[in-house]
Amino acid sequence: MTVVQEQQRLQHSSHEEPVREELVLGNPSLRDVTARIASIVESKITPKYLATLTVTGGMAGLGLFALYYTIVTGIGVWGLNNPIGWGWDITNFVFWIGIGHAGTLISAILFLFRQKWRTAINRSAEAMTIFAVICALTMVLSHTGRPWLFYWLLPYPNQMQMWINFRSPLAWDVFAVNTYFTVSALFWFVGLIPDLATLRNYVKSDIAKKIYGVLSLGWTGSTRHWHHYEIAYMILAGISTPLVLSVHSVVSFDFTVGILPGWHTTIFPPYFVAGAIFSGFAMVMTLLVITREILDLKQFITMKHLENMNKIMLATGMMVGYAYAMEMFIAWYSGSDWERWIFINRAMGDYAWAYWTMVLCNVISPQVYWFKKLRRNLPLMFVISIFINIGMWFERFTIIATTLHHDFLPASWGYYSPTWVEISIFIGTFGIFLSLFLLFAKFVPVIAIAEIKSILPGAQPKHHHGDHHADASAH
Amino acid sequence: MSDRSLHGSTNTTWKSIEELAHGPQETGEFAPGTTSAPILDSTVSRRGFMTLVSASMALTAAACRRPEQKLIPTVKSLQNATPGLPLYYTSVYMHRNVAYGAVVKTREGRPIKVKGNELHASNCGTSSSEMQASLLSLYDPDRIRRPRQGSGPTSFDAAVSKIADAVTEAQAAGKKVAIVVDEHCSPTMTQLLAQMTAAMPWVTATVMPAIITDNEARANAAVFGIDGVIVPDLSKASVIVSVDADFLGTDKLALHHTGRWAARRKPTKDNPKMSHVTVAEAQYSLTGMNADARVRLHPSQLEAFLGALEAEIAGASAIGGSLAASASAETKAAATTAASRLRAAASSNEAVVMVGPHLSPRAHAVATSINAALGAVGSGKIIDTANVLPNSNAKSAALAQLRADMESGAVHAVVFCDVNPEYNANRAFKTAMAKVPMIAAINLYEDETASLAKVSIPAAHWLESWGTAVAFDGTITVQQPMIAPLCEGVPATPDVLIALAKKINPAFLGEMTTYAEFVKSWVETSILPISGGATWTKVLQDGTVKPTSAAAGAASMNVSAGASLPASTYPTGMAVLAAPSLALYDGKLANNGWLQELPDPVTKITWDNVALMSPQTAVSLQLASDVSPSAVIKANEQVITVATSTGTVDLPVMVQPGMADNVIVTQLGYGRTSTGIVCAGVGVNAYTLSAGSYAASTVTVKQGERQRIATTQQHHTLTDGHGERPVAKYMTLGDVAKGDFSVVEEHFNAQGPDGKPLAHGEKGEGNFLTPLSATSGYKYKGHRWGMVIDMSQCTGCSSCVIACQSENNIPVVGKDQVLLGRELHWIRLDRYYTGDMESPGSVVEPMLCQHCENAPCENVCPVAATTHSPEGLNEMTYNRCVGTRYCLNNCPYKVRRFNFLNYAKVDERKPLDLVFNPEVTNRFRGVMEKCTFCVQRLHEAKWNARDNGRSRVLDGEAVTACQEACPAGAIIFGDMNDPKSRVSMTQKDDRGFRVLSDINVRPSVTYLAKVVNAPATEKAAGASH
Repeated sequence: MTVVQEQQRLQHSSHEEPVREELVLGNPSLRDVTARIASIVESKITPKYLATLTVTGGMAGLGLFALYYTIVTGIGVWGLNNPIGWGWDITNFVFWIGIGHAGTLISAILFLFRQKWRTAINRSAEAMTIFAVICALTMVLSHTGRPWLFYWLLPYPNQMQMWINFRSPLAWDVFAVNTYFTVSALFWFVGLIPDLATLRNYVKSDIAKKIYGVLSLGWTGSTRHWHHYEIAYMILAGISTPLVLSVHSVVSFDFTVGILPGWHTTIFPPYFVAGAIFSGFAMVMTLLVITREILDLKQFITMKHLENMNKIMLATGMMVGYAYAMEMFIAWYSGSDWERWIFINRAMGDYAWAYWTMVLCNVISPQVYWFKKLRRNLPLMFVISIFINIGMWFERFTIIATTLHHDFLPASWGYYSPTWVEISIFIGTFGIFLSLFLLFAKFVPVIAIAEIKSILPGAQPKHHHGDHHADASAH
Repeated sequence: MSDRSLHGSTNTTWKSIEELAHGPQETGEFAPGTTSAPILDSTVSRRGFMTLVSASMALTAAACRRPEQKLIPTVKSLQNATPGLPLYYTSVYMHRNVAYGAVVKTREGRPIKVKGNELHASNCGTSSSEMQASLLSLYDPDRIRRPRQGSGPTSFDAAVSKIADAVTEAQAAGKKVAIVVDEHCSPTMTQLLAQMTAAMPWVTATVMPAIITDNEARANAAVFGIDGVIVPDLSKASVIVSVDADFLGTDKLALHHTGRWAARRKPTKDNPKMSHVTVAEAQYSLTGMNADARVRLHPSQLEAFLGALEAEIAGASAIGGSLAASASAETKAAATTAASRLRAAASSNEAVVMVGPHLSPRAHAVATSINAALGAVGSGKIIDTANVLPNSNAKSAALAQLRADMESGAVHAVVFCDVNPEYNANRAFKTAMAKVPMIAAINLYEDETASLAKVSIPAAHWLESWGTAVAFDGTITVQQPMIAPLCEGVPATPDVLIALAKKINPAFLGEMTTYAEFVKSWVETSILPISGGATWTKVLQDGTVKPTSAAAGAASMNVSAGASLPASTYPTGMAVLAAPSLALYDGKLANNGWLQELPDPVTKITWDNVALMSPQTAVSLQLASDVSPSAVIKANEQVITVATSTGTVDLPVMVQPGMADNVIVTQLGYGRTSTGIVCAGVGVNAYTLSAGSYAASTVTVKQGERQRIATTQQHHTLTDGHGERPVAKYMTLGDVAKGDFSVVEEHFNAQGPDGKPLAHGEKGEGNFLTPLSATSGYKYKGHRWGMVIDMSQCTGCSSCVIACQSENNIPVVGKDQVLLGRELHWIRLDRYYTGDMESPGSVVEPMLCQHCENAPCENVCPVAATTHSPEGLNEMTYNRCVGTRYCLNNCPYKVRRFNFLNYAKVDERKPLDLVFNPEVTNRFRGVMEKCTFCVQRLHEAKWNARDNGRSRVLDGEAVTACQEACPAGAIIFGDMNDPKSRVSMTQKDDRGFRVLSDINVRPSVTYLAKVVNAPATEKAAGASH
């Protein structure tokens, strides 16, 4: 079954759907769309852009300096201690990996489910995935005591005749995150090929033409190319889909395989996946609200897109809220005094402030999205998305710090707070993330030109009998 | 005189028990005196060079990643030493005037470990933390390296000449010269000083202890006619009442007492007997922590308690009537209870009262009166007047005379040998010192006194010098040097004195030129003829010899003579006690990082002295709003000014539950100003506060000022706010007698899913909840190492911590890192309070890697750096570790230690690197480490077994460092696969339990629950009056 046929079948099956909002406003022509999006690449670099990039670059520089300082001096420059072996490092790692999940969900799962509204946001969401995974990799590579031996975590033939320990969830992590990064990068790049070719044709500078030319891999737009492209894209979407579930499940195993109360629990995999999507959408929201303002893409990234994302956030927010409640319930229901105590301590102990910040941000704040008016309120959704970002960071911090700081033997209890180095590294990951995103927004089409054309008002007749023609012509 | 003739003709100077199997060893390694140049100097001697070379080689082999050093082939090897094999020498450690027999392990010519000599009656093979840590001071880079005259370096000969000139000048001017030495128990030193003063009548010799407590000697002089301290034998005591006597803690004899005390603390179901210890005290001492009953008393009531006790027991012959008169009703009631306990054991002569050294002479006489009434005094009884601590006679009179002489200008020169009065003497003495024209110092460090000296000569460490020591029971030990002096060609202090005397009178000591000859001659002429055929070689081999002549008849006792002795005048208001520190004692080894970082067994404080006070005292000083734990904790780290009539110090507050109200206790040994970089700026000098006794004080709070205190334990009870965690278990003697061992069966997860208590397997091996999955069925075919720790024996003295640190090259991390919670000790002593804040009991649980069979750390390591050995060890491969710290997180006992920074900087501060045990790898930063069960010792034991044609190590051949040191014998290690091994037998004890057995990690360490001597109904440890 070809893509087109499949699409047709899906659309036929949904002819009951009510009249929907347009996904692209202003009824632009195909040429207009290309010009509008490609012109961002051609336009001059504004001082404002440079200033922003300088700030984010500075943040990245601070983080890289802090990383350098850590590597040459030792992990001791962080605030970690003997009961608390992980702190902001792994919190940040899980946070960034989680951020990435929205991108994969949007590009792969929503693609397979033919959610057309994804088209306007999938490119930036995917880019965000890759940048977030880069940040996560930065954290995970630098958090070890001897980071220069990172390759020992890879199974490769060596003179030591040593395999990695396949029983360790950290070894699984290496596979999960590497797979995730590779597949996401490929998926993003394959999706970019037609647009890079468009830019190759569009840009005027020779150097830019050369670069885009090389990157577009000789794309001519022939039917044969489109045919292969569609298949490749579909396969990659299929490969990516399980990753949405598997990567964060594997990350959650870092905790569940541990024997510590508060970690050793079966709810973590689904809870982590829901949380990842939740936080990922929040981050996409934060970025898109800014991008569509600055790059003036309101035409393509409409209120409908934003509202849909808010709905997803409401749903996943409820899921994590359920998980929080269920953790508490199971701690009580298990009859294990260790478990009971750790959860009482989470809510009432030294880190209660972190726990309640998490609950407030993740469970309470998305509740405003029950109201359509609030779902479509731009300033509010920006604020809520920031709240969720904060809340989800604290969720990871709560899980890691509260469990480690008070475990079994009271004599070994401790407390942890970060040093300037850890804070700088965290700021640095944001710097890396935002800088990469800014470069992306300037030099790569932030909206999939080829795909968005397929959902232009003209390309999407309201009558289902003309669907496939319209789709075909859009490409 | 050559080395050879010194050591006799048999070529076997030293031997240890361990080395007997290897046959005689050629000796002559130890050059007496100045024959060997120092290795720190540019002109390196052959021996020094070889020492360095071999040490470098060992280090290079041992280093984790850095340091890189050149390999230089050994052309001529060290005498006697086979590279890679240790040599053991006997010697003696003098803890001031207490002799503890030592066996020192050397590798390639450098001492690397100190342990006790099993043949020595004082310590029976065990060792104290200070004794072991003194090894580190040997290699201290801050030691004086060369003699100094004025501000410039000089030669040894010139320095001695300079002092000799002053001595001659004094003679000419008709003035005195004073030689002041630290308290010691060396008969040869005493004799040498006597010969010197006889030869030069204008020279006086004075012994000056850092902490002058001669009250007991004064009382004994009056009552027994014995001017000295009598050493009681606690193994004969079944009821002990201590009045502020910290006999398990800060007492100089604590190492001796702990072993004897512990012998009476092993109750079993079949023989439910143990001693009962009542401690009446104002502080919360280590002894109080281990007491079965505590009586909190303000210092003003301490002697009243004793008086009341005497009134109960001695009746009409009591001499402490005036003391008893001031006893409050509460004190009297407590005395009645204590007296009834004592009386119960009096019929078998097993009851004794012990009194703190700082209590008045009268109090000591009263105690003797009670003990006499209890039948504890007499030959072969607890208090046997034959057992007198050497050199423990009253010294305050002699010191007062010296002070007066200095004050009046009668003293022309003073030679301070290993003493530091500028730091620890009172103000009057210091003022008098300033009037002496010529001060010379012979010392390990350029300390407060040495910096005042016109001539300063480095002293030799005890591991570098010859000497002798006599124990309280008359046992003589020869102190042997293990290594040539590391500093500029300087012999031991007595050698300097001999050289000095010879400058003035070349005929002094005749042919003899060195102290080594003096020692040998003394042993051969004074000891060997009365030692049943012992030879010089045998004396060195055994490390002990007991002359037979020392049979003194029982001293006559005249208790009533004590009635006229002065009683104390302790303040009734706020009192302060500057007590010896449990880690540093008097501060002599203050520049020792191991001791500075050793957590105080009671408070868990490192790197500081503090003002300890009760919660109520904190409230009355308005440091806390009320006595609730959450309010009291806010008092901690606030700074107060404590002023007595003699001095004023600023101290951070630490609230210590269990102390009497209106008492502040601080520790001596801190606040050094010019000794070395380790102790610089650590704490304040509490000697200024009338050291060693309670003094009236005024306390002012420095509002808003705080000082951080580095403790290694932040939570001090087993309760977590919702219940008591059954992780450190304790029970009463009543429970043991009834056979009620339910406490060791108790788990945190007391109920299964069906609501019924979870079932347990049989005791010992199978005492776990659920069968294993992945690792079940593994058969340990060869050895299977395991440990038993008896919490009833463990006092918390922390000797094991230093033993482990020394054996396993554990770096010192410093106060900043301890504040961050990064101390590296592989064994820690978890101390939990039980009962109420007013007078808590406590349980000490030594915690080290449990070598779990189902170890949670092993499966989470991504690079397989920590794995299980076929002998049941949880092994750590440092080279493979990348430092994810996952194992640390997943360890339920939190015994893994991470090198957050490069703590083992071996290249810096030479020659500290020479202290390392070459059998143990140094760990670079980023690497996890933890207890290995001293795997290097296990390998050595296995090699020895193999060399002797055995396939298995016999029980007792493999000994861990902590076990070896433990003064109480609380740690038993061995092969659990051997059903007859001690570890297998004791594992089955009814009190046995494994910590956190409910989480099914299957630890290899079994703990025996602590037993408190109390009736079965009482569940709390250390119930108070």
